[in-house]
Amino acid sequence: MNNNGTTFLKMNNVNVFYDSIQALKNISLEVAKSEFVVLIGANGAGKSTLLKSILNIQAPKGSINFKGKELTKLHTDEIVANGISIIPEGHLIFNSMSVLENLQLGTYHGKKKEQSIENIFGYFPILRERKEQTAGTLSGGEQQMLSIGRGLLSDPELILVDEPSLGLAPKIVNDIFDILVKLNNVGYTILLSEQNAKKSLEIADRAYVLETGNIVMEGQADDLLNDEEIKDAYLGGSI
Amino acid sequence: MEFFIAQVLNGLSLGSIYVLLVTGFNLMLLVAKIIQFAYPQFVVISMYATWAVLRATNNVILAILVTIVVSIFLNLLSEPIFRRITSIKGTDINATFVASIGLSMVLVEIMSHSLNQGFPISFSDNWVGGSVFRYGIINISRSSIFAWVGGIIVVVAFFYLLYRTMVGRLFRAIAENRHVAKLFGIPIFKTSIMSYLIAGLLGGFIALLLSMLIGTASPWLGESVALKVLAVSIVAGLGNLKGGLFVGLALGVVESVAIGYVAGSWSNVIAFVIMLIVILAKPKGLFGAAVE
Repeated sequence: MNNNGTTFLKMNNVNVFYDSIQALKNISLEVAKSEFVVLIGANGAGKSTLLKSILNIQAPKGSINFKGKELTKLHTDEIVANGISIIPEGHLIFNSMSVLENLQLGTYHGKKKEQSIENIFGYFPILRERKEQTAGTLSGGEQQMLSIGRGLLSDPELILVDEPSLGLAPKIVNDIFDILVKLNNVGYTILLSEQNAKKSLEIADRAYVLETGNIVMEGQADDLLNDEEIKDAYLGGSI
Repeated sequence: MEFFIAQVLNGLSLGSIYVLLVTGFNLMLLVAKIIQFAYPQFVVISMYATWAVLRATNNVILAILVTIVVSIFLNLLSEPIFRRITSIKGTDINATFVASIGLSMVLVEIMSHSLNQGFPISFSDNWVGGSVFRYGIINISRSSIFAWVGGIIVVVAFFYLLYRTMVGRLFRAIAENRHVAKLFGIPIFKTSIMSYLIAGLLGGFIALLLSMLIGTASPWLGESVALKVLAVSIVAGLGNLKGGLFVGLALGVVESVAIGYVAGSWSNVIAFVIMLIVILAKPKGLFGAAVE
């Protein structure tokens, strides 16, 4: 699975508790460099928690290794500086700040700041037009583009994408998924959490299925797409 | 009429000081997420530092430097206390308010027992400066001009920092949503320390301007000022930096005009009654609160 012999992202026996409630149970998961991996599962299955545990937001127990570094010992800002960024659920951005300022904040851990912002405008020309506009006034789709653009500016190798389709029109969801595929093609490794199982299995290499904090199934995305159980549970029955 | 103008001009000088104080207070509130009631106490202790250096050396440059360093040092020194309190599970920002009131009381006790044996201090006429313009009873002193010009320069510099630099963007990001800021890899701890540092720098300037303007300080100065700073921040809208500029100046003027027409401490009563009315009419402040 590893193209170059060294581990890229490897989670081993990770547990996460919210007070007394266990949100993740003995999660073991691997993502190889340049892979596109999707986490599917119902609302509340623990997909978001899993992504946030990688960034050490909710004090995970167990081991999370990224390129030889133990992430559970690092602060979130150090993890981002090490090359992981998240595009959070609900296209979170700083609503009171301008589009440009949101992007400038994104470059905090990045290197070629000005040049990278130009690159983002290349991906999303609409953001250049609206760069002086307050981010809170953008449409949902534009906010998602800004959110993705911002996430790219810290020079990540691994991008965690949390439910990008939530609350967006189907046409825009397609655009967003196309962008994710493009990003994967140019070398970004992607770990996507998504309720839209069919669409995400179609574009991913591999998948993990989460149910109430457990990984209940894993495999090649194509195999899962044709799996009877998966079809029943996540793809709206046999097609 | 001349008398009224004279009081308004005095009020604008005092108001400049309130503006700077409430700006530092709001910065702590927005970025460090604390209600720093003891902030004006740090300013007063810094004024004692100014006084001590001037008395010992008569060196103005040294006095300015020491004042600023002392102010920054005191603010940074308080950071671990507030961090400890906010890291306790289940506490909210009110815990920092109570803690800072306690800290403020301790500082008053220390000052009243060990600084100048508890007696108020006075600054020399050289430091306070005389009149530079006189027209009838309108009298503009050098220290008033320093308070206006200094106030404007410091506020402009502060807003430049806030809106045109990376540090300012980090401040505003944390102010808007600390959770999202953390998720995006913004260093919360480092940025918070930076806010203490900037508030300390600001406090140093305030100590210098205030010592020139009122020419005196006492261990009890800080608490009366702290109440007004808190009131200004609430009336403007908690954490509303731009609103604080307006309300800070307005409080200075109202107070000063009131002093001109009614006896002594009634000016405080008038100022607070006006603010009470405003709060009853607009509970979230005149300009809207920036924090919950």
